Amino acid sequence: MKNKDKKNSLWDVFLAFFKIGLCTFGGGYAMVSVIERDLVNNKKWITAEDMMNMLVIAESTPGVIAINSATFVGYKRAGVLGGIVATLGAVMPSFLIISVLSYFILAVQNNIWINAAFRGIRCAVVILIINAVIKLSKPIKKTWLTVLCIVIAFVLSTFLEINAIYIILGSGLLGIIYYGIKYRKMKEVPTETANQDEKKEEE
Amino acid sequence: MVFLQLFWTYFKIGLFTIGGGYAMLPMVYSEVVDGMGWISESQMLDFIGIAESTPGPFAINLATFVGFSVGENLGGVFIGLLGAITATIAVVLPSLIIIIIVSILFDKFIKNKYVQGFFFGVRPVVVGLVLSAAATVLFSVVMPNVDFTDLANSSWDINWASLALTALISGLFFVKIKGKRLHPIFFIVIGAVVGILIFGVFDLEKSIM
Repeated sequence: MKNKDKKNSLWDVFLAFFKIGLCTFGGGYAMVSVIERDLVNNKKWITAEDMMNMLVIAESTPGVIAINSATFVGYKRAGVLGGIVATLGAVMPSFLIISVLSYFILAVQNNIWINAAFRGIRCAVVILIINAVIKLSKPIKKTWLTVLCIVIAFVLSTFLEINAIYIILGSGLLGIIYYGIKYRKMKEVPTETANQDEKKEEE
Repeated sequence: MVFLQLFWTYFKIGLFTIGGGYAMLPMVYSEVVDGMGWISESQMLDFIGIAESTPGPFAINLATFVGFSVGENLGGVFIGLLGAITATIAVVLPSLIIIIIVSILFDKFIKNKYVQGFFFGVRPVVVGLVLSAAATVLFSVVMPNVDFTDLANSSWDINWASLALTALISGLFFVKIKGKRLHPIFFIVIGAVVGILIFGVFDLEKSIM
């Protein structure tokens, strides 16, 4: 009986995230708001507080935010298997659609009309990427230190073409050393005080 | 062998994408476009346009597409599908593992000073990296002959038709209807329609340049 329940809930998790994956265009935060409506307000699979924790985790771990939140909710609902099933469910719809599309795109890529359309689309994509830069920079507190980091990363990547992975690893390492010295007497940095500290520095 | 490379490349990309979606672009540039040469810069841009207008997070969609095209080059549609599966699983796997571990250790993870320090360093750097991708892409569209690693010998010719269209779309970007910005798909469609007109029907480029 219990086994059957477990199977059912795994299937529910898969279906719920398949639907979410199918309905979110543009990914990222679009998917997060659907999760909030479907799974927090309607199905009550996770609490609003869990949802907040989830966003913190999804933003501060590697990977795409939408998929990370799916993994987290699935895990909360049905354990490790739930996490895996939710991830599969969320990825599946776009995987199927993109596989079919890829086939057609590769087949028609030398057509002059398609080419003309894509040359126009590239102009739109430029704007979308610039928008992503603005969005990503919003939550970061602008101190001389963070602005310096942004500029150095830009120069290293643009003019010296250093691999982005090395730049990320290096900056993470420097951050660890910086916090290690700054908070050398503490074992843990409570997130709120960490933020308040930075606010004080700004003032 | 190619499948191992595909898996490893996308596993790395998945592991170092911090900040979601577009934060993946710098890595796709270094690893897939410049490094392995699996797709060209313009193929990457085209696909961002498609991925923005189809369901699902675009970063995952891009992985599926690259996997498919690498596989198809090797031996047809079926191998292409295998490539798509490989790249998609590889890009999702690192975060799947990390999220499950972090969900178990939530409090300790979030308050740990080394974890905090790591993200303190990485967050602004990701902005700089995506800004770099934005600049590279902007110049490849508007001034296609500028080489950032060799500015002294670059040609600064402007592609006026592309510049005008980019300006038009950036203007539309600020338009709000009922307090809401327009959906990205709208810009993509405008880009496609105007693109067909100015590059296809009228071929403005030749008459201006």
